[in-house]
Amino acid sequence: MKGKLKTSTFLILLFCILFVIAVPMVFHGYSLMVVNLSLIYAITTLGISVMLGMGGQLSFAGLAFMGAGAYFIANVCTGRLGFKMATLPALLLAPVFCGILAYVLGLILLKLKGTFFTFATIALVQVSFSFFMNYRPLFGGPDGISGIPSLSIGNYSFSSNNKMFYLLVVILAVVALIVERIRVTKFGRSLASVRDNDIAALSLGVNVYMTKVKAFTLSGVLGGLAGALYAMQGNFVASDLFAYNNATQFIIMAMVGGVNNTFGSIIGSVLITVLPEVLRSLERYLQLFYGLAVIVLMVFMPMGLAGVFKQLAKRLKMKKKTSSKASEGVIK
Amino acid sequence: MKEILKLEHVDKHFGGLHVTNDVSFSVKCGQVTGLIGPNGAGKTTLMNIISGIYLQDSGKVYFDGKDVSQVPPYTRAIMGIGRTFQAPRFLQRSNIRDNLLIGSDLSENKSFVKSFFSRQNMNFETELNRYMKVAGFGIDLDDDITSLTYGQQKLLEIVRSLLAHPKLLLVDEPAAGLNSAEIENAMALLNIAADEKGIGVLLIEHSMDMVMNICKEIVVINFGKVIATGTPEEVSSNEEVIAAYLGKDELD
Amino acid sequence: MGLNVIITCLLNGLAMGMVYALIAMGIILLIRAVGVLNFAQGDLLMLGAYVTFALKVDLKLPLWLMIPVALLCFCAIALIFMFSIYWPLRDASYPAAIIIGTMGASIVIKEICMLIWGGLPLRMPPLLINPETGGGRLITIGNVNLQWQYIITGLVGAIAIGAVFFLFENLYAGKMLQAASQDKFAAELIGIPTMITIAATYIISISLACIGGYLVAPIFTVSASLGTLLLRAFAGVIIGGLGNIKGAIIGSLIVGIIEAFASVRLSTYKDAVIFLVLLVFLVVRPQGLFGTTIGDKA
Repeated sequence: MKGKLKTSTFLILLFCILFVIAVPMVFHGYSLMVVNLSLIYAITTLGISVMLGMGGQLSFAGLAFMGAGAYFIANVCTGRLGFKMATLPALLLAPVFCGILAYVLGLILLKLKGTFFTFATIALVQVSFSFFMNYRPLFGGPDGISGIPSLSIGNYSFSSNNKMFYLLVVILAVVALIVERIRVTKFGRSLASVRDNDIAALSLGVNVYMTKVKAFTLSGVLGGLAGALYAMQGNFVASDLFAYNNATQFIIMAMVGGVNNTFGSIIGSVLITVLPEVLRSLERYLQLFYGLAVIVLMVFMPMGLAGVFKQLAKRLKMKKKTSSKASEGVIK
Repeated sequence: MKEILKLEHVDKHFGGLHVTNDVSFSVKCGQVTGLIGPNGAGKTTLMNIISGIYLQDSGKVYFDGKDVSQVPPYTRAIMGIGRTFQAPRFLQRSNIRDNLLIGSDLSENKSFVKSFFSRQNMNFETELNRYMKVAGFGIDLDDDITSLTYGQQKLLEIVRSLLAHPKLLLVDEPAAGLNSAEIENAMALLNIAADEKGIGVLLIEHSMDMVMNICKEIVVINFGKVIATGTPEEVSSNEEVIAAYLGKDELD
Repeated sequence: MGLNVIITCLLNGLAMGMVYALIAMGIILLIRAVGVLNFAQGDLLMLGAYVTFALKVDLKLPLWLMIPVALLCFCAIALIFMFSIYWPLRDASYPAAIIIGTMGASIVIKEICMLIWGGLPLRMPPLLINPETGGGRLITIGNVNLQWQYIITGLVGAIAIGAVFFLFENLYAGKMLQAASQDKFAAELIGIPTMITIAATYIISISLACIGGYLVAPIFTVSASLGTLLLRAFAGVIIGGLGNIKGAIIGSLIVGIIEAFASVRLSTYKDAVIFLVLLVFLVVRPQGLFGTTIGDKA
């Protein structure tokens, strides 16, 4: 349905353009920083969506890779290890580093099925958090590492929230397009088959184990990129972000937006990160409403916001469609 | 005609149960070979062993001249073993297009990079159109797979496996749950596979109409053992076979 | 490490392990009954601690009254939990939805506790108080000083778990619960009222967790951080073998002991130690100590 495709893509594009124009006008200083954080979190959430929405594997590990990326930048760009790398190559290297880490860990952990794998990722987060919080030489202990330089390309430095905002929008857009494109590649379909019917997948030539490992590697790359950007955005890394409680936040962000939807992951991240700031007045009851909202959402909209839109679109399409189909052959 | 599949003394136990007992037979290219026997005889188990989902306890499986006895199932699929299941196995959350593309992905063997940058593989459409005409119903590629009836899904599963250009096609009870028109279409598809594409088809079926109609050779299994092989005429007059289906008392 | 340190570690470890076992048992029962990993189990333990604190310290109920009232409260909590989280989500098309629902519940429970009792940790007096120090009473065996609270925790926990075991293995009601958890549809066909059995399972699981909260409160103080004990229970469940009740209990005890010994030498890294052990177990022996490997049927 070429017509239908255009409408939803058009709407998304329109929303994005409005977002990019409106946000810097409305949000300044601290609140703009929060928006930036939400865009960074969206990258991690995309990693979770790839694993859970596309591959059917619940992984808490995205947060651990985010930490790895953040501390990679923290160490490599501040000279703590004896040498100092420029920010741009470091930013490109961090996701690669985390990807390699994820690949190796994935080879080990994905020999486990289902809930076992999920537990293993929880253990991974706990172990890495324990080290992040305590091992001073690499992670600065409870005080964290400060003085991390912002990203600079040549003489241009992304040191203000404004500049970071536009940079993050571009990066997020590129990442989202890549993830979206992956859906329609052979790998994307293989991943879907792993999620929905892994025995059929095997008989259709899909190497289930390696497909999961590749997806995990991708989630590691995304987590690492997010972590690196996080370090450069706040110029500071401390371990509190990488605690287990926050891992559940990212999963909720993915589910709220629509677990198998790229744009949904972004919306979910932005909503859940930015809304608490907007609703500051309700501060005392904010978390309570948040928890209740999560429950209500899961009861009435487990497919997430994106899923709700899709259902509406389908119903509209059903109304338009005539009941007769050609009796032979394929219709477009 | 070339042998595409050969089983030699294949044996399988599940706990104390001897489900496959010294089974040897072969399947030739370009024809449909039937695998029949009473319920519980071990036919689906054999199919699972051939496709690699179960590993046999002893014996060998040769595919296209190569020993695949220890080869994992996804590699066997890539080598050219295709199959359908008793209950169709589709990706419930994907649309028809993606479900079929998975089939044709196998025949393409594109690398990830190429798949990422090139246009979507839509040249399977001429092939698909042709198969759908034989299958006898129309589809909208954007529909959910769940919108098809059971019979349509079973036929579509055969189409999906044909799109993968297999050399050997294992078909597990395609007629079960189909009406007579759909059974005709299934037979037509399998005939195309064998006669036109030169695929070796191994057919598990209970519907004797279908078996006698399209099989050139039949292998009969009872209690995990091969009790007869031969042409349909030879097998249908074989005393042991009749006894197995009808029970010994009937003969006396 | 001197002998007294070893013995103290063992006792403390077993006591804490028993608390983890209380959580773990609830988790396994719920997995078997409704197929869902309850991420709120740790917060239910915390809720149990707060509720018993309210009964004991705020309302100053005497022990003989407090216990039955507390148990009634636990039942009520269990039923409320079941009807708000499990009941609406039981047929969800996305299995992850129920799990996320329990995550939401976890947040809600934490927030409710904070709104009612404030964010500061509360001191719950131990069961047996040392009149001189006002702290927990000690018992001295040889030259080892052991806290009574730990001993009581271990014993009460063991009794609670033993009672549940007895129910499941020996009483008809227990057989019904087992049947319903293994195959809901078949159980319904033979007349087992699955709604009731599921409710009973929820009551047992959550009560176990709440009892654990009451036991552990004097040791840890009553605060939101009690919820994180859940992760130790997860570790215990895996080490013992997922789905196996006996294994979960033994696994939890092992986790408790590992934690106790680790906190002597590597106290800052004791989390890392516990979960590294878990990871090793998962990699080397994913079926745990007592689980069996389950194959896939094609």
